[in-house]
Amino acid sequence: MTAGEGDPDEELVLRAGQGDPAAVQALVARKLRRVLALAERVLGDAGDAEDVAQETFIKVWRHAAAWRPGAARFDTWLHRVTLNLCYDRLRRRRERPTAETPDLPDPGPGPDRGLEAEDVGRRVRLAMLDLPLRQREAIVLCHYQELGNIEAAQVMGVSVEALESLLSRGRRALRGALTDLKE
Amino acid sequence: MMTEDRFAALAEAYGGDIARWPAEVRADAEAFTAMHAEAAAVLERERGLDAALDADVAGAPGALLRQRVIDSAPAALSAGRIWRWLTGAGLGLGLAAACACGVAAGMTLAPPSVTRMISGPPAESSDELTALIDPATDPEGA
Repeated sequence: MTAGEGDPDEELVLRAGQGDPAAVQALVARKLRRVLALAERVLGDAGDAEDVAQETFIKVWRHAAAWRPGAARFDTWLHRVTLNLCYDRLRRRRERPTAETPDLPDPGPGPDRGLEAEDVGRRVRLAMLDLPLRQREAIVLCHYQELGNIEAAQVMGVSVEALESLLSRGRRALRGALTDLKE
Repeated sequence: MMTEDRFAALAEAYGGDIARWPAEVRADAEAFTAMHAEAAAVLERERGLDAALDADVAGAPGALLRQRVIDSAPAALSAGRIWRWLTGAGLGLGLAAACACGVAAGMTLAPPSVTRMISGPPAESSDELTALIDPATDPEGA
């Protein structure tokens, strides 16, 4: 990948690495929302997601100064770092069996009201959290983060064929879990 | 060459919007859709799930988180950080100035004996100072 064609974040990362305050602000404005959304959807917990977002950017600042143009795209690397930090959190949760499940309101539709968009959103979030982690990751990366198939496969460390399989199985499971939304 | 099975598999993986499919299959998929009526139904079914997924909107980062992240950049002196440093320094300078004014006002307004206690007694008034310290030696008798 050459500098000009490949990575739209490269110049900003290099400037941030040199301590340019405007570049730091711009990079945060461009990427924090993406990082936070990724962590929130993988972890299902807003507080944990904020912690992961902060830890991710600490790694960004540490690596920005030595960022080498021509290596992986910054956004791909950023997703990989965020996912790794999410794995750490999930591992810690498993080691603490008393940890509570995410505190989300009951998303079931009431008998006398239709599903508002917000309700649908909650239903979807819960259904996503019920998916196996790798299927959830695949859908989050491709649908929500809008990564291309090759990039998403890179982030997940799988082949494109394996990514497609994870996507198909995940979406099929979601369709099954959300059947009543069609009405 | 796009087949019915491949089209269905791609739709199931990437959803009902061909624009979000892998770049290398989009043209074939568009052509397949134009020639096969059943392709539209496949896409429509997947669009339903896409719309449900889109209803889950992620929250925006709060101002506090954004500031914490910016402040964690080690070499960057952000405008916010500079402002906080300046206001902190300003507060310190203000307190120091207030202390200095207080001392000056005290020196000006206090009775001469107290002023001499603070600034140190002149050689000729050492007796008066001794009297302040020890009433028993007060020349006027307590």
